[in-house]
Amino acid sequence: MMKYLSFAIMLLTVLVLYLVFFVVPPAEGLGGLVRIAFFHIPMAWISVLAFLMSAWWAAAYLRKGTLRQDHLSARSAKLGFVFVLLATVSGAIFSKLTWGAYWNWDPRQTTIFVLILIYGAYLTLRAAIPEPRKRARTSAAYSLFSCLTVPFLVFIIPRLYFSLHPTPVLNAEGHVDMDPVMLGTLMAALLDATLIYVRLLFHHLPKEDSHEP
Amino acid sequence: MRPSVFRGIRLVFQKELIVGMRFKAAWSTIFMFALTTLSCISLALQGAVLEPDLQAALLWTILFFASMTGMDRSFADEDMSGTLPALKLYGDAQAVLFGKMLYALFLLLALSLFVMLLFFLLFDVQTASLSEFLAVALAGICGLAGAGTFIAALATGAHVKSGLFSVLMLPVILPIFLPAIFLTSAVFGGEPVLLPHLGGMILYDLLLVVGASVLFDYFWYEE
Repeated sequence: MMKYLSFAIMLLTVLVLYLVFFVVPPAEGLGGLVRIAFFHIPMAWISVLAFLMSAWWAAAYLRKGTLRQDHLSARSAKLGFVFVLLATVSGAIFSKLTWGAYWNWDPRQTTIFVLILIYGAYLTLRAAIPEPRKRARTSAAYSLFSCLTVPFLVFIIPRLYFSLHPTPVLNAEGHVDMDPVMLGTLMAALLDATLIYVRLLFHHLPKEDSHEP
Repeated sequence: MRPSVFRGIRLVFQKELIVGMRFKAAWSTIFMFALTTLSCISLALQGAVLEPDLQAALLWTILFFASMTGMDRSFADEDMSGTLPALKLYGDAQAVLFGKMLYALFLLLALSLFVMLLFFLLFDVQTASLSEFLAVALAGICGLAGAGTFIAALATGAHVKSGLFSVLMLPVILPIFLPAIFLTSAVFGGEPVLLPHLGGMILYDLLLVVGASVLFDYFWYEE
C-alpha cells in the first residue's frame, strides 16, 4: 500500500513542479514571484493540519491510553514543526521580494510564529520527560491546552494589526478569486503535500509497546 | 461543584498561603526579580520619555517574566519535598487545581501592585482612565494565574527545570499578552479601551480555566 502511495506522490510531485515552472502564468503585480506561493501555501496548510491532527491523537490517547496514539501525535507534531519552518522561510523570502523586508510582524507572520512556539514547546516538553507513559500523558494535555489559542490566532490577531498579506484563496465573501490554471495547480500542490504528510506520518511507525521519544 | 470541593479549594489555598508565608524566600525572589529588572531599565533609560506602546510592552514583559520566577514552583516544591503523593491521595483534583490557582492569583495580584506602583513612579506614566487600566491588568493577571498553575503541574515531572516553564507558557499566554499590551498602550496614550478586545481577553481567561479544569483530571489521576 505504502509503495503505491510513494509512487503516486512521486508522479504528482513531478506534475506539480512542471505546472508551477512551465504552465502557471505570471500574476498581476507579483509576476513570476507567485510561484513561491505554490510551495508556501501547501507548507502552511500542512503546518495547521499536523497541529490539529496532533491534538486529535492527543485526545485519543487521553481517552484510550494506547501508546500508538501518542506516537502518531508526536510524529504529527515533528512533521508539523518541519513544515512550519519551511512555510516560515518561504513566506519570509516572498515577503522580502514583495514588501522589502523578511519579517515585519504581519498578523500572518505572528500566527505562524505562535505555531512555531507551540511546536517547539511541545517537543521540548517531550524531550524533558524520559518515562514514556508520563511523557505521553503530559504532552497530550499540553497539546490540547495549546489548541485553545486557535480561535485567537484566527479571529483576534488579524483584527489587532494591519496586514500586507495577500487575501486568502477563499476570501471573506466566500469566493475563490483566482485564475483557473493557478487554482488547479494549487489544488494539486495541496494534495501532494497532504499525501507526503500522510506517507511520512506512517513511515516506520513504532509498534504499540515500543517507546518513541 | 460539590460543597466539599469548595471546602477543598479553601483548604488548599490556606495551605499554600501558610507554606508561602513560612518559606519567605519564594516571595522575596519574585519581588526582588521585579525590582531588579525595573531598576535596571530605569537606570539604563536615565529618565528618557517613552512612547505609550513601549511603556505598555515593558510593563507586561516585566510582569510576565517576574511571574514566571514564582509560579513554576507551585507543584515542583510539592514534588521535591515529597508531599505530592499525599496531596494526590487526599486532595480532589479540582480542589487542588483551583486552590493553587487562587493562590497564584493572590501572588500575582500582590506582585502586579508592586510592579505597577514602581513602574508608574519610575517612568512617569499617565493614564486616561485608571479603572480601564485596572480592568485590563486584572484580565491579564487572571490568564497568567490560570495558565500558569496548569502548566506548572505539567512541568513537574520534567527533568529540565530552568526555562521550561517560560517556554511552555509563552505560546499559551500570547492571546492575553498581546491584547494586554495593545489595550494598555491605548490607556497610556489617552485613548478609550476597545471593549471587544477586553471581552476577548476575558473570554480567553475563561477558556484557559475551563480547559485546565477538564485536562487536569486526566493528568492528576494517573493509572
